[in-house]
Amino acid sequence: MSDRLKIFLLLAPALTAIIVLFMGGLGIGLARSLNYMPVIGLVDPNFDAYWTVFTSQEFYLSFLLTFHISFTSTVLSSVLAIGAALLLRRQFIGRAIINFLFQLNLTVPHLVGAIGILYLFSQSGSFARLAAEWGMISRPGDFPALVFDPYAIGIILQYVWKEVPFIGVILLANMQALGEDYESVARSLGANRWQAFRHVLLPLIFPGLLSASVMVFAFTFGAYEIPAILGPNYPAALPVLAYRKYTDVDLEARPEAMAMAIIIALLSALMIFFYVRISRRNIRS
Amino acid sequence: MHNDSPWLRAFRGLAGAVLIVWLVLPLVPLAIWSFARGWFFPDILPKQWTLSAWEYALSERAGVIDSLGLTIGISLAATALSILVGVPAGRALGLYKFRGKELVELLILAPTIVPGIAVALGIHSVFITLGLNNTVGGVVLVHLVPTLPYMVLVMSGIFANYDPAFESQARSLGASWLKTFWYVTFPAILPGIIVGGLFAFLVSWSQYILTLLIGGGRVVTLPLLLFNFATSGRNDITGAIGIVYILPGIIILILTARHLSGRNGAVGGFGRI
Amino acid sequence: MKKVMKWALLSVALSYAPIAYADTADGDAVNAMGWDEIVEMARGSEVNWFLWGGADNINQYVSDYIGGILKDQYDITLNRVGVSDTVEVVNIVLGEREAGVNDNGSVDMIWINGENFRTMMQGDMVYCGYTDILPNNELVNWDNPAIANDFGVPVEGCEVPWSRAQFAFAYDSARTENPPKSIGELIDWVKENPGQFTYPAPPDFNGAVFVRHVFYYAAGGADQLLGPFDQAKFDEVAAKTWKILNDMEPYLWREGQTYPTSINAMQQLFANQEVALYFNYEPSQFGIAVQDGTFPESVRSYGLTDGTIGNTNYTLIPYNSPNKAAALVLQNVLLSGEAQYEKARPDVWGTSPAIEVDRTSPEIQAEFASIVQPESVVSSEELGKAALPELQASWISAIEQGWLENVGR
Repeated sequence: MSDRLKIFLLLAPALTAIIVLFMGGLGIGLARSLNYMPVIGLVDPNFDAYWTVFTSQEFYLSFLLTFHISFTSTVLSSVLAIGAALLLRRQFIGRAIINFLFQLNLTVPHLVGAIGILYLFSQSGSFARLAAEWGMISRPGDFPALVFDPYAIGIILQYVWKEVPFIGVILLANMQALGEDYESVARSLGANRWQAFRHVLLPLIFPGLLSASVMVFAFTFGAYEIPAILGPNYPAALPVLAYRKYTDVDLEARPEAMAMAIIIALLSALMIFFYVRISRRNIRS
Repeated sequence: MHNDSPWLRAFRGLAGAVLIVWLVLPLVPLAIWSFARGWFFPDILPKQWTLSAWEYALSERAGVIDSLGLTIGISLAATALSILVGVPAGRALGLYKFRGKELVELLILAPTIVPGIAVALGIHSVFITLGLNNTVGGVVLVHLVPTLPYMVLVMSGIFANYDPAFESQARSLGASWLKTFWYVTFPAILPGIIVGGLFAFLVSWSQYILTLLIGGGRVVTLPLLLFNFATSGRNDITGAIGIVYILPGIIILILTARHLSGRNGAVGGFGRI
Repeated sequence: MKKVMKWALLSVALSYAPIAYADTADGDAVNAMGWDEIVEMARGSEVNWFLWGGADNINQYVSDYIGGILKDQYDITLNRVGVSDTVEVVNIVLGEREAGVNDNGSVDMIWINGENFRTMMQGDMVYCGYTDILPNNELVNWDNPAIANDFGVPVEGCEVPWSRAQFAFAYDSARTENPPKSIGELIDWVKENPGQFTYPAPPDFNGAVFVRHVFYYAAGGADQLLGPFDQAKFDEVAAKTWKILNDMEPYLWREGQTYPTSINAMQQLFANQEVALYFNYEPSQFGIAVQDGTFPESVRSYGLTDGTIGNTNYTLIPYNSPNKAAALVLQNVLLSGEAQYEKARPDVWGTSPAIEVDRTSPEIQAEFASIVQPESVVSSEELGKAALPELQASWISAIEQGWLENVGR
């Protein structure tokens, strides 16, 4: 058997699955967003749905909120994960526990984390109760709004909780594979701790960090259940908005939902493209 | 590296302690709620403790046990499917260089950078026509979208460090294709299958929106049940279901933990995108 | 673990097995049958009932009590499918209709009323003309306009009443001394007690009902709003309503910058003492919440002196239900005096019956008479002293839309 045939056969099942399910899903979504559905007699594609989406203020507010959530969560999680991974390279009391908790955290679904954050940070949650106990607040309304809030603090806290271990585990695996030789060399050549980290370790772990953070960005940009549990009612995160439109009684709203889905896909791909370019340029320079 | 100052060591200890507390903290109120009755503001701990939420959650009528079985079944099926489809693809990407490889990689990884909801709405339309909506089969199939990239990613990392020469040696010594796979290939790639399978399982396990859309509310996996209770204000039952929902993941983790850390490169494969 | 796994694999395998449908998809054929024939046809089949699944006690009544009767007496398997909003079910049927699934739909019955009923009727997606076949239909007083019309839309044999409900307010008597007893009082009360009140954002069902109460108040009563939609009248009253609500906004929970997304979210706010007032279209919910420990014992409820809105809710069979015979049997069971009494028991659900109690057997009547409401639940007689009608669905959607555009953002 020739290599080409072998490669083709090996890839065929995966590519079929991706093309049929993923590309197919996107394609049908695109067709429906353009009001193009020959099966039910819609043969004149148009941009009405996109027009409706792009002329609604809610869409822009939702986009800003969603972008803020993704961007802030990704940056915070990445930075904290680097710190945590550096910490976990060293021997200290509690290292094994953290290692275990990191992996345990990977198995906890986002939804559970979101509910936990809700119970901790709502205006009547555990922290509010502690504040009341210590006389800092007299009633729930005095506690700062950390969930259902316009700045999406609760959502970001949840993502940081979940994604620091995710990125951390990947970074740690990378660091362990590298060993400490490179840094020791750099240190022995007179680099200080920061220089050794910035110019030696960071570029080495960068590919892993980049791909992990890209996944985090994409996930946080498209997640539904976390903003649905912890987010404000208006503006809602883009996926929540798209789902609401999709399940609207008014069938007219369906192409709009599809248009939003396509926009989410495009925006997500576009932002990740720029993110990868910018961060590559900055780290390698 | 043994000349660290005591300050630095103290800082590490403190940071470690904060990290431990922070990692455990969100799970604490869930666990407490599951044993609480009428836990009102500003009580720091419930005034009354009860097992009623657990009695309810574990009773037949609550459907939690059924849902647990269904969720495990779906995740196992989705994992098996993604192993079946993902291992060959990982082999192709890890072992060979060929024209269009970058495009293939991009295609396979695309679901990790394009949010699930963006494709789910379209898939839903297709599945309605195929009669796959509202079925367990349809849900398993759609879970392939987010799980497959992880599988391929991990397997291509494994195959990149794999020497196919052993296979040809075995074959030249007269081993059948099946025997070669079983005695040579499989043991070598098993760690990857375990890690990739673990990721695939967990990704499927925590899927909410894909299951909701494609299952149409008929395929009630644990996250759907949990979401319903969480938004209906029954914090006690929510707590109990939440705990039930995280237990299987922990058990599987304990069974596979030794493959996750260390230098086997399976997790490091994430650097290869 | 092994057992669970085995079970899991089995359940996956089973779901692939082809499902045998009894040929009860043909509504006209079923309508032409006698009751005994229908019961015989339904035997051994299943029925998928989609209904709001947010209340544990309702789920239990449906799954255990009703499901038990169906299984034991008729050998019918009841699949209760909980949804968080009935719109989702309407959507499923819509989607199936779009895709040409006309006799093999996934929904056999829906708990429904109002706007969703209107949508189903407009989309021609309802199985009609069977109510006279149900033996227990004689317990229903179709001469009562509140039963014969669903939010102003004539029912005309397309759905069967299940329960009646009337909006009521609740407060914690240990925390709040004088809760406002009318919309006018409420408006002043909110300003005197900043941060203590909110309402779920429409299109949440209960939130929308609250907004309608304010709308009635702004109109000076419901009388001029009855009948078909009147744009001029709407514009006039709506302007006043948005003004009242916008003036109220800075004094709401979170200064009105956000609203709870659902009545359940508001229930949590009330339970957690974040707000002082709560309301629900189903006053029995207050008693349930006290019973399960969500609310403190000191919660009390009341109607408004200027009246609260009441409605009837129904069950409906979609046109493409493949199990119409079983759905009819289910509807007949739901209408029975026994099932309506069980449902009215405060420790079960506590909702008002949709049948005329005096048409039931003396035993059932005696049971109904023995019901004692919990202290937290205002009696339906008390509420009934000042009851307001629901508006036609076109009014309701205009009010919801208007709220979203003028108050919600």
